[in-house]
Amino acid sequence: MVELRDVSFSFDGERNVLDHVSLSLGPGEHLVLLGRNGSGKSTLGKLLNGSLRPSRGSVLFDGDDVSAAPRAVLARATGYVRQDPLTQIVSDLCSDEVAFGPRNLGLSRDEVRHRVAEALETCGIAGLAQRLTSELSGGQQQLLALAGALALRPRHLVLDEAESHLDQAARSRMRAVVRGLVAAGVAVLEIAHSGEALLDATRVIVLSGGAVAWEGAPEDFLRCREALETSGLAEDPVTVALASAVSDGAPLSRAGLVESLAPYVPESAARPTRGVEVCPLRAEGVVVSYDGLPVLRGVGLDTEGLTLLLGASGSGKTTLARVLAGVLAPDAGAATLGGAPVRAGMVGLSFQRPEDQLFCETVLDDVAYGPRARGAGDDEARELARSAAARLGVGEELLGRSPFSLSGGQMRRVALAGVVAARPGAYVFDEPSAGLDAPGRAELARVVRMLVDEGAAVVVITHDAGEWLDVADDVVYIRDGVIVATASAADARRRPGLFDAAGLEAPLLVRARAAREGATHA
Amino acid sequence: MRRVAAPGAYVPGDTLVHRVDARVKLVLLVLVTIATFAASAPKGLLVVLAGLTLVLVASRTSPLTVLRGLRPAAVVLAFSVVANAVVLVGQPGLSADGLSRSVTAVARIVLLVGFALALSATTMPTAVATALSQLMAPLSRVGVPVGGIATAASVALRFIPLTMDEVERIRCAQRARGAVLGGSLVATLRGWGQVLVPLVVALLRRADDLADAMCDRCYTGEQTSMAEPLSPRDWAALAVGAAWALAAALV
Repeated sequence: MVELRDVSFSFDGERNVLDHVSLSLGPGEHLVLLGRNGSGKSTLGKLLNGSLRPSRGSVLFDGDDVSAAPRAVLARATGYVRQDPLTQIVSDLCSDEVAFGPRNLGLSRDEVRHRVAEALETCGIAGLAQRLTSELSGGQQQLLALAGALALRPRHLVLDEAESHLDQAARSRMRAVVRGLVAAGVAVLEIAHSGEALLDATRVIVLSGGAVAWEGAPEDFLRCREALETSGLAEDPVTVALASAVSDGAPLSRAGLVESLAPYVPESAARPTRGVEVCPLRAEGVVVSYDGLPVLRGVGLDTEGLTLLLGASGSGKTTLARVLAGVLAPDAGAATLGGAPVRAGMVGLSFQRPEDQLFCETVLDDVAYGPRARGAGDDEARELARSAAARLGVGEELLGRSPFSLSGGQMRRVALAGVVAARPGAYVFDEPSAGLDAPGRAELARVVRMLVDEGAAVVVITHDAGEWLDVADDVVYIRDGVIVATASAADARRRPGLFDAAGLEAPLLVRARAAREGATHA
Repeated sequence: MRRVAAPGAYVPGDTLVHRVDARVKLVLLVLVTIATFAASAPKGLLVVLAGLTLVLVASRTSPLTVLRGLRPAAVVLAFSVVANAVVLVGQPGLSADGLSRSVTAVARIVLLVGFALALSATTMPTAVATALSQLMAPLSRVGVPVGGIATAASVALRFIPLTMDEVERIRCAQRARGAVLGGSLVATLRGWGQVLVPLVVALLRRADDLADAMCDRCYTGEQTSMAEPLSPRDWAALAVGAAWALAAALV
């Protein structure tokens, strides 16, 4: 049992990131912590494992005040799994990675080995023990990070958006492991940005501006409009469907979920046909191999609107993104934009965390970089930059500031403005929504849709297929370097089989929609 | 995303050389280095060459890997051969003495590179770092933080490929924005400057996160040593290798 009593925390001594927060987390509980980006969720998680200490108030572990105890006391008791597996893995070999924690505790060699085997077993990845960590998929790496935390045999576990970099199948695996832990008496605090977390929750807390805005059972959360708004999930499609189901008296549980959600799946409105001329972005017979290992084997793709490119980890989608953007020359085949071969600079490209790409002294210079590189004069480049910044919602007052002084959300908008400013004829976005809260994701989808409606072909690579399906026109499924299916988004929204065939797991709402149609046809 | 492996990068496998303890391989590399410089030409070097051939075969490392590993130094090596062979003062011409001397010197370097690549291709970087710390363990008695050095070295080694991925990603994104990397020297330098800013920012953030994640798992610098005593096979490898090196140095 770990408790926060009237805890406040401040990084700079002036502004409180957490403000008089009290909560307790007991064995067998699965507490889901919701709130928008910047509401203090991670800070709260870090207070529970001792990596941050409260500025005011106290942290109690089994009733003892440990606010001033050595860090190891809470670190041993509370495991912590973060978003990005790459920043948590320290070893080359999986078994060494899991051994890192127990070795730090100074346990005997035999005990370390025993714990490694036990933790890998719990996470269902015993078979990976002798594999290299760098060879694993993102989902396997995250299970490994979880095993690394479990090897300390923690009594509490903090999952800090631990599934935001994972695809649906990997999320399901991770959720199953976590359910097992909760059943075995581990207390879990999950920081989440999506509605699916509610299915496993025993209790929900909503943070807003560093204070607890709402606390209660997940069913009550779904019935409380105000709590939904504060959490940022009010427009999240899964949450909306769950809320309708619960308010009609359906139980909130995994058993029979797809069927009970079926009546509540929104039917997306038909998309009006666009009047603008579009330059199609195409790939034809693209072959790429690294080191003799084929990654893409004859890939063809044709996009005129918003195309989702979906595939499991290692399917070649990121390589295809590079080819489409003209920054990687394929061994055979070609990418074309409006019939002309794509050269670097013709297609806008952004990777996960585009804010990592900023480098100029001022926001305006950074956004104007693309137009300048394409030969625009100083005035023209600034003009293009200003208009791109305005379209992406970057305020005029930020243009003279250093990009590194901005908040995470602002940095992302600046980076995207930098991609848009040069007015490329098409765009490739690789995992654009990872790490954004629900309102941030909706905002991004709106911006991308705007680009499409203005006549650009856009390819989006994403783990969050469920969210992008509603704004997409087409869906392309890639598996092992081959396109296995192409479907209209309207079809993809109701056919889980397309996802299965690509080695993916269909989003919850797609399965629910299929169930509903199965019922009406029957 | 996979890239063409750099020469000497670890290649997973289960050959005889892969299975030998990293400590033994490190000690043997030191012995072989001494022997290669002590060996007489050509007889001693032939013994070393025979040893290298055996190691490459036993580890299934292609000789091409060794040649690729030498590529960065090829110009310097070729130059040193030529510089030693050509006599400009006194009686200008070619000196057979100088030529054979420089060829011998280059041969020694090629042999050493071969052994070093065979080691790095068959041993995980973190295993090398761990073995180094175990061999240095006696130094901890005089206050050297051996555990900390080993962890730092192994994390640094692990981050090299990640850093290369990051550089590749940043360059791709900048090229997609119209940046032309290359051209004149000034332009090239400026291009790399553009890459370095986001790279350093990202690495510092990543280093911070990693340090936090290590502390979350109770890292203090002291760790249980997982070193096993050497197996009979390891002792045998050590004995054979040492005898071979001795033979090379003495013939």
